Amino acid sequence: MKSREQRDLFPGALEMMILRTLKRQPLHGYALAQHIKRTSNDLLQIEEGSLYPALQRLLKEELVKAEWSISSTNRRVRTYKLTAKGAKHLEHEVSRFEKMLEGITRVLAPGES
Amino acid sequence: MMWLKRLFSRRRLYGELSEEIREHLEEKIEELVAGGMSRKEAAPRARREFGNVTLVEEDSRTVWRWPSIENLLMDVLYALRTLRKDRRFTSIAILALALGIGAATVVFSVVYSVFFNALPYKDFNRSVVLGIHDLAGTDGAKVRSYFSLAEIRALREQNHVFDDLIAYGRMRPTYDDGKSIRFFSFGAVVTPNTFDYLGVPPLLGRTISEEDGRPGAPPVFVMNYRLWQREFGGDPKILGTIFVLNGKPTTLVGIMPQQFNAFGTNTALGTNFWLPATPNYGRLQLMGRLKRGVSVQTAAADLDAIAHRMHGLNLAGVFPEEKFVIAPQTLLDSLIGNFRKTLYVLLAAVLLLLLIACSNVANLLLARATAREREIAVRATLGATRGRLIRQLLVESFLLAAAATATGCVLAYFGLKLVIALIPAGTLPEETVIRMNAPVLLLSLGLTILTTILCGLAPALHAVRGHLQPHLTGSGKGARESFRHSKLRAGLVVSEVALSIVLLIGAGLLMRSFLILTRVDLGFDPKNVLYFELNLPPSYNTDIAGTLQRKNALTRQLLDRLRGLPGVTSVAEMAADPPPLQYESTDTIIPGKPHTKLWETRLEMCSDGYFQTLGLPLLRGRFFSEDDVFAARDVMVVNEAFSSEYFPNEDPLGHKVKLDVFDKPYFAAAAPRDTYFEIIGIVRGFKTRGYDNPSWQTFPQAFVPYSVAGFNWRVFMARTAVDPAPLLKNMGQEVRALDPGVQISTSGTLEGSLQEFYRGPQFQLATLAAFAGIGLVLVVIGIFSVMAYAVSLRTNEIGVRVALGAQQSSILRLVLLNGFRLVAFGILAGLLASYVLTRFLVSQIPSVSATDPWIFSAVVAVVVSVGLAACFFPARRATRVDPMVALRYE
Repeated sequence: MKSREQRDLFPGALEMMILRTLKRQPLHGYALAQHIKRTSNDLLQIEEGSLYPALQRLLKEELVKAEWSISSTNRRVRTYKLTAKGAKHLEHEVSRFEKMLEGITRVLAPGES
Repeated sequence: MMWLKRLFSRRRLYGELSEEIREHLEEKIEELVAGGMSRKEAAPRARREFGNVTLVEEDSRTVWRWPSIENLLMDVLYALRTLRKDRRFTSIAILALALGIGAATVVFSVVYSVFFNALPYKDFNRSVVLGIHDLAGTDGAKVRSYFSLAEIRALREQNHVFDDLIAYGRMRPTYDDGKSIRFFSFGAVVTPNTFDYLGVPPLLGRTISEEDGRPGAPPVFVMNYRLWQREFGGDPKILGTIFVLNGKPTTLVGIMPQQFNAFGTNTALGTNFWLPATPNYGRLQLMGRLKRGVSVQTAAADLDAIAHRMHGLNLAGVFPEEKFVIAPQTLLDSLIGNFRKTLYVLLAAVLLLLLIACSNVANLLLARATAREREIAVRATLGATRGRLIRQLLVESFLLAAAATATGCVLAYFGLKLVIALIPAGTLPEETVIRMNAPVLLLSLGLTILTTILCGLAPALHAVRGHLQPHLTGSGKGARESFRHSKLRAGLVVSEVALSIVLLIGAGLLMRSFLILTRVDLGFDPKNVLYFELNLPPSYNTDIAGTLQRKNALTRQLLDRLRGLPGVTSVAEMAADPPPLQYESTDTIIPGKPHTKLWETRLEMCSDGYFQTLGLPLLRGRFFSEDDVFAARDVMVVNEAFSSEYFPNEDPLGHKVKLDVFDKPYFAAAAPRDTYFEIIGIVRGFKTRGYDNPSWQTFPQAFVPYSVAGFNWRVFMARTAVDPAPLLKNMGQEVRALDPGVQISTSGTLEGSLQEFYRGPQFQLATLAAFAGIGLVLVVIGIFSVMAYAVSLRTNEIGVRVALGAQQSSILRLVLLNGFRLVAFGILAGLLASYVLTRFLVSQIPSVSATDPWIFSAVVAVVVSVGLAACFFPARRATRVDPMVALRYE
């Protein structure tokens, strides 16, 4: 069993990335995984599977909604869309994240202490 | 109703999820194939990048659940299934725990009821009763519990330690029902603040108030429930009735509830009603409620200072003792006495028993956990987290403990009934009700939880700590892995054996003490002897000469009448309480024999038939003659001990002896003051009991004719040729025929009262023996299960040995030796522990030493044989191992 530190970012990071990606366009699971991998230049070691529990959580919170449809490759897929509540949540989370990041950067920045 | 919809649409959700994941993988494979990979390579690659499909699905589903509750439910169901599968383990574990918890609940119930709930009075645990120990007197142990009015006033006004103080005294008034005057029931006079102090509201009417104590207030009284029911059929209309008590019309103003019997000490004759004490009533007993935070010792010092200051003033009747100390005692202690120590012993014993039960169950669970290591390893490999596994095992042990608590409570219910029936009458105040109550049940529940954590967590922690791989590869390797905690299990067995040794030795010592106590040759023959005590009406106490004359005339006439009854062979009168025959103790003054230490003699005032009735043989000289008694001559018969102790090298016959007790102010008014008695005979004495020491002892004894003193307690004995009990009725008729105002207060047979006396030690013995027996059963279970388990673990090894030609006998020896080593270690540890622990017990019980070799060797023999038996069956199974079957696993 892999230890959790290796697999996880920080709690909520994956959800935030999913919401951000879906904000641009509705996607199905596989496409979502590929997109996150690609955009992060494979810097983040994310198991594709870990997307699904996160998606379920977002569904339950009603931050995204899902619909079965036929994809361009003629495949039955379940496409996820951001809801209005999701958009608001994303905004809130991003600003919180940025504040946190700023704080961390300041602490880590050399020569200022 | 979102959650309801969710609950029903879950199945659909789960289906969608699986489909979605399947599609995801398909798409990935397709893309990889499109990128030039073969389909055979692409499928595993896709799965690898996706991660654990099952886990992902499970995690995703978990989002929709109430995971903790549902997992718990699953754990419970799973645990029930596994427990049901392994019935033998389950029933043994539940039985072991139930016995421990049941016994503990019984003892906790008794302890709680007695220590915290014994009396219905307000803050009874802060109430103390007062006594004066007369230190200068002939015997230091003499306690005076009645105080004069001036003493009471001084203590009440000058103390700094009491919130409140009450005074009371037992009394028995006459009752004039218009036709005749007879004795009413026993009652008490109380200071008017008493009911306020005790804080128990009346069942009907009102209690006695301060108003009733004012001079000139109309006389009133309050009745208890028992008298009300027995004499007046519980009729509520009786309130307001006027009773003529001691010639004074007195109004009944209240009835107290059933659970109230203030000052109804452990005598058979409780207090049945209460009258307000008039300001000049006379001597009374004292009870006070300590201020919060004041200890009994502090109170003793404060009161003692007051008493000694008052003593210094030399007022008549105010602390007249030359040398004394005031000794307060908690009300509870004054009522239950030594029973407190008995309860401590029981508490210690039951804690040992509980420890045995817990280590037993821990052992069973450990053995089981080892056997299940493979199952657990499989579950861990399939993705179960440590937390989940630990919870699973905890749930299992919690279920066990819950079942055990339920069973234990049932056992406790019946056990408690048994124990209540066994507690000797008079040990506890009438008001004490022993029952299982909320605090005790909560405590049992706490025990359960503790047991759960204790027994469940150890195997759980062990099970998930080790490396999983060896368990999965199976065969002997898994077994080797568990050797580490086979040591723990061995340790548990050793401690079980050790604990049970302590219990058994405790029970053994009690049993030996009990046997010594009951088998001892008392020196008199208690068979076919009945006794009764008379209550003389106030008319017998007039002036000194008249008192003596009246009481002695009554005694003489009654003895004559009793002697004439058919079936009676001899009769006697005496002053002592019937057995255990405790006598007035006195210093002995013999001219020409000065002594600084107390010469403690036990005094009896009796009739001439006394020696024949008890069957005491005359050694030298003569008994009293009828004439000696009739003329009240100053003659004395002594026992061997008296002779050998005070006249070691001379003939005591003809010497004159003074008994100091007759000169004491508290002795009956009509006493032979400053009188020397001539020794006329020596008898073989008999054993009596001290007040503080419950063992039988031989004391110097002196017997003088009853006619020399006008004491109040007139006890009559009759030896009969037939069963004595039915004759008691005839005796009662004779008494009434002689004087209708005289009543028999207590009566019985010597044998019966001896048996009653033995009930105290019997109770201790019975309970401790029961605990020791349960402990032994648990030890057998413990040894048996560990050995059986060890054998099953070594089946391969034994199979190999048999295949290589080992004899059955050598296999048997191997297993027996292994098991017996544990028992031997346990015995050693237990003996050492007993050596230390039983000292406390021995200080409580007479006639045995803490290292009684008989008991120690008997207990060792019992444990050795029981231990061997418990090892034997698994060992025999080992000898029957079929090498082929055993080796097939290899």
